[in-house]
Amino acid sequence: MKNVVLVSASPKINEQSVSRKFLEMAGSEINSDLFSKTFIDVRKSFLTHNLTEDFETLARADIIIISFPLYYFCMPGMLTRFLVDYHNYYTSSGIAKKNVKIYTIVNCGFPEPEINLEAVRIIKSFSQHLDAEFRFGVLIGGGAMMFAAKDAPFMKKAVQKLKSAFSSMAADIQHKNSTTTDSIYIGVNFPFSRHLYFFMGNKGWITMAHKNKLHKKDLYKKPYQLNE
Amino acid sequence: MKALLISDQEYMTRTYQGLNDLTGKFLKQKGFELELMELSAENLTFCKGCFGCWIKKPGECVINDRMTQINRSIMNSDVVIYLSPIIFGQFSPTFKNVIDRGLPNMLPFFETRPDGSTMHPPRYDTYPGQIIIGYGEETSEEDKQLFIDVTKKHRRSIEVLIYQEPTENTIMALNKMELGRLGGLL
Repeated sequence: MKNVVLVSASPKINEQSVSRKFLEMAGSEINSDLFSKTFIDVRKSFLTHNLTEDFETLARADIIIISFPLYYFCMPGMLTRFLVDYHNYYTSSGIAKKNVKIYTIVNCGFPEPEINLEAVRIIKSFSQHLDAEFRFGVLIGGGAMMFAAKDAPFMKKAVQKLKSAFSSMAADIQHKNSTTTDSIYIGVNFPFSRHLYFFMGNKGWITMAHKNKLHKKDLYKKPYQLNE
Repeated sequence: MKALLISDQEYMTRTYQGLNDLTGKFLKQKGFELELMELSAENLTFCKGCFGCWIKKPGECVINDRMTQINRSIMNSDVVIYLSPIIFGQFSPTFKNVIDRGLPNMLPFFETRPDGSTMHPPRYDTYPGQIIIGYGEETSEEDKQLFIDVTKKHRRSIEVLIYQEPTENTIMALNKMELGRLGGLL
């Protein structure tokens, strides 16, 4: 039985991770009779100092799926550290597992899925450094919204696209013959204008600040302003 | 005029030494007062995505480590040059922590840029001129291009260079750049 290792890499603590939810959706499409599935949570791995054990699990993987949120148009620092250390572990261990396939799921808070492209290219580069085969990525815009409003009628199309993307990923994992597959882009089709979406998002920040006893004007503080 | 030169202790290779010497000399010749900052993974953790820098302590990271000093130095320099190794076409882990934890220097809100893309607005009226110089040993052309694209495709006011032979090209490129504070286009 082949091993699928599903890696979620949201640095958030005490919060439901959107990256993890996407990963679970992807995992549920993979046939459990044919593949064993192991989840790694990078945040937990660091917190519990479980890195070596998780690296051993990853080194046994036939298929790796890495799901993470976009941080400054590339990987979060936490995942960067994890993959660099894993690469060092893998190359120094002398393991040379053949035909490993790697996939990625990248989500961002901005509505445009295209801005995740460079992050996908980074996972492709990581794959090449491991001598593994990068297959494709699923690029998701408006990630948190996908779950917050998943039952709303306007989300139906996006949710269907997500299911279809993860089903394509599962099919590709099962398929032995590798043909080139393009990455899949999924954005949210808002039923209202972009302007209104931004207005609502901006109001959300002010509401959250109020809960911390801050006023709207406090959000604009300039603590490092010495010369202006 | 103050310049801040940031490097990563974890990747102080021979190539790095050449780049550091070259950049340091260049900045001194231009008359900058130079601050050197060497990053170490030990006292610089990763961003935890808590948004405390926007909604709890606006403008400051809530994690108490060296990043407070780094952000203060960055924001009060005229020019900041980051000497970053190229790792998988991206930054090193510790450099990425610095970039991620620059989030307090932006505002939380959304705005649309002229090309239609979304971005957070600037917190400050002006920012230091920022230049990222990537280096590496036997870095593929694909990784070099990715290192440029990660920043140039998404950030309007940050310059990116790759340090490679002939190294004079790095000086020529630096000479063409404006070395001073810029408006708040992010």
